[in-house]
Amino acid sequence: MNVGARLSGILLVAALAIFGALVGTYPTYLVSLAMINVIAALGLNLLTGNSGQISLCHSSFIAIGAYGATLLTARYGVPFWIAIPLAAAISALVGAALGAPASRLKGIYLALATLGFLQIVQLAIEEFADITGGVRGMKVPRPELVRGVRVTEYAIFLIVLGVCAIAVWTAGNILRSRVGRELNAVRLSPHAAQALGISVARVKLAAFALSAAYAGVAGGLLSIVVGFIDPVEFGISASLRQITFIVVGGLGSVAGSVIGATVLSALPEVLRPVKEYNDIIYTMILLGFLLFVPRGLITIWTGLLRMFPRAPVAAVTEARAK
Amino acid sequence: MTVILSLQLAIAGISVGSIYALVALAIVIPFKASGVLNFGQGEIVTLGAYAALILTQLALPYPVVLASVLLVGAVGGIAIERVLIRPIVKAPEFTLVIATFAIGLLIKGVLALRFGDSPAALDGPFGSAPLLIGGLRFNPTAVWIFACTLLVTFSVIAFFRHTRLGKAMRAVSISPEAARLMGIKVETVYRWSWAISTAIGALAGLLVAPLIGINPEIGQLILRGLLAAVIGGFTSIPGALVGGLAVGLIETFSGVIVGSTFKNLVPFLLLMLLLVFRPQGLFGAADIQRV
Repeated sequence: MNVGARLSGILLVAALAIFGALVGTYPTYLVSLAMINVIAALGLNLLTGNSGQISLCHSSFIAIGAYGATLLTARYGVPFWIAIPLAAAISALVGAALGAPASRLKGIYLALATLGFLQIVQLAIEEFADITGGVRGMKVPRPELVRGVRVTEYAIFLIVLGVCAIAVWTAGNILRSRVGRELNAVRLSPHAAQALGISVARVKLAAFALSAAYAGVAGGLLSIVVGFIDPVEFGISASLRQITFIVVGGLGSVAGSVIGATVLSALPEVLRPVKEYNDIIYTMILLGFLLFVPRGLITIWTGLLRMFPRAPVAAVTEARAK
Repeated sequence: MTVILSLQLAIAGISVGSIYALVALAIVIPFKASGVLNFGQGEIVTLGAYAALILTQLALPYPVVLASVLLVGAVGGIAIERVLIRPIVKAPEFTLVIATFAIGLLIKGVLALRFGDSPAALDGPFGSAPLLIGGLRFNPTAVWIFACTLLVTFSVIAFFRHTRLGKAMRAVSISPEAARLMGIKVETVYRWSWAISTAIGALAGLLVAPLIGINPEIGQLILRGLLAAVIGGFTSIPGALVGGLAVGLIETFSGVIVGSTFKNLVPFLLLMLLLVFRPQGLFGAADIQRV
C-alpha cells in the first residue's frame, strides 16, 4: 500500500468516527451495517475472487458467527469482545472442515456442496429451536464490557469501524503476501500452481477457513449491532447478496469488496420509495453486471487511470514502493 | 411398521419422487447438451404452476391447460437461453451458476410481486377421492403424476435415441467443436435443450400444484431435484428418474425412521456425502474433474 492510500484510509476512518459522533443513531446503524457487509464481502472475495472457488454458503458462516457469539454471551456470560473472536474461530474451523472435502470439488459440484451446507445450517437453526430460538429468532443481550458495564451505541459503532479498518488492511496485506499470490495462482491455473510446489488442496482449504473467519467476525458484529438474529437473514438470498457485492465491486480486489458492499448497502435506502421492487432491482443489477461489466465497478477506476497515463518515472517509483 | 403402512409410505414417496424426477430431468438435459446447470429451474416449476392456475381460472379444459403450460415453459426457456445464457455460455462456471440463480430469483421476485405470498390451490384433473386397490389408498393425482413422469422420461430417452435433434444433442454434449464440423448447428441444439427442459419444469409445476398448493416458494423443489440428479449421475436420463424416486422414498421413510426433526436434514446430508465420496453418482458416467 503506498503512502497516499494509507493516508486516505486513515483520514476516512477518522472522518467516519467524527461522522458517527455527530449524526443520530439511525445513520450510524446504517453505516455499521455497510461496514459489516464490507467485512463479509472481503472474506468471500478472497475465496471466490482470488482462489476461484464458488461458495453459496457464505451467509452460513455469518450465521455461525452471529449465533456463536450470541450463544456464548447469552448462555455462558462470555463478554462480547471475547465471544466474537471465539465465534469467528469456530466459524473458521467449520470453514476448514467444509473446505477439506470441498477443495476436491470444483465448479457446479462445489456450488452444490456449498448449497447443501447452507441448507444444513439453516435447517439446524430452525430445528434445534430450544437452543437457537428456531424460526422465531433470538434476542441478543446488550453488549457489556464486563458484567454490568454496558457499551454505548457509539462505542459499538467505533468497534465496528475499527474492526472493518483492520479487516480491509489485513485483506490487502494477505493479497500482497505469499498466501495471496498462492490464492491467485490456484485460481489461474491449479496445475501450474501444483507444478510450482504450491499445495493446491492446502491453499483452497486455507481460503475456505479465511473467508469463514471474516464471515464469522461479520456475523458476530451483526448480532450486537442489530440486537436480534433469525434464520431468514442467513438463507440463500443473503448468500447471493454477498456475491452481488463482490461481482458489482470487482472480483479478486479488496477495493472491489469495499466499493461493492458500500454502494449496494446504500441501495435499499435510495430505493425506499419503490421498496417492493427491491429484490427485483437487486437481481437485475447482479445479472447486468455479470453480462455487461463482469469485472465490476473497479474497472471504471482502472479505466480512468488508463485514460490519464502517469509519467513513466512516477509509475516506476510506485512499482518499487510496492 | 406394518406392510400396509410401508406400502402406503412407498406410494407417497413415489408420487413426490416423480416430481423430483421431473425436476432432475429438467436439470440434466441442458447440462448434458451445454454443460450449463440451471439453478433457476425451480422457479420455472413455480412459473408452470402459476400459468396452470391462471389458465384454469379461465375455465379452459385440462388438456388445453396442459398444452399451454408446456408451451409457456418452452417459450420461457428459449427466451432465457437466447437473451441471458448465450452471451455468457463461454464465461467461467461461476458466472453461469450465479446468472442462472439470479434468473430464478428474478422470476420468483416478479411472481411474488404479482401474486403476493398468499397460497392458491389448484385441483387435480381427476378429483381427490382416493382409489382403493387391495386395501391401499391411491391419490388419483399421485397416480397421474407418476404416469406423466414415466411417459416424459421414456419419451426423452426415445428422443435422444431415435430423433435427429436428439442425436445432435448427444453429439454436441460429447464435443461441440466436432459436432459443429459435422454441420450441426450448436446454437439450435442449445436452444431446444432449454426449451425441452423448461417445458418439463413447467409441467412439473402443473402436476405438483394439486399436491402442495401454489406459492412463490415452490422453487425450493430444485434442491431435491439437484440431489436426484446427483444420485443419478448428472448426465443420465434414467438416472434422473431413479434418483428422483429414491429421494422421494428416502424423504418419506426417513420421517418415520429418524423422526421429524432430522427428516429435512437427511437429503442434504446425503447430498454432501455423495458429493464427497461418489460425485459421479450411483450410475457413474459423468467425468468429474478432481483437482
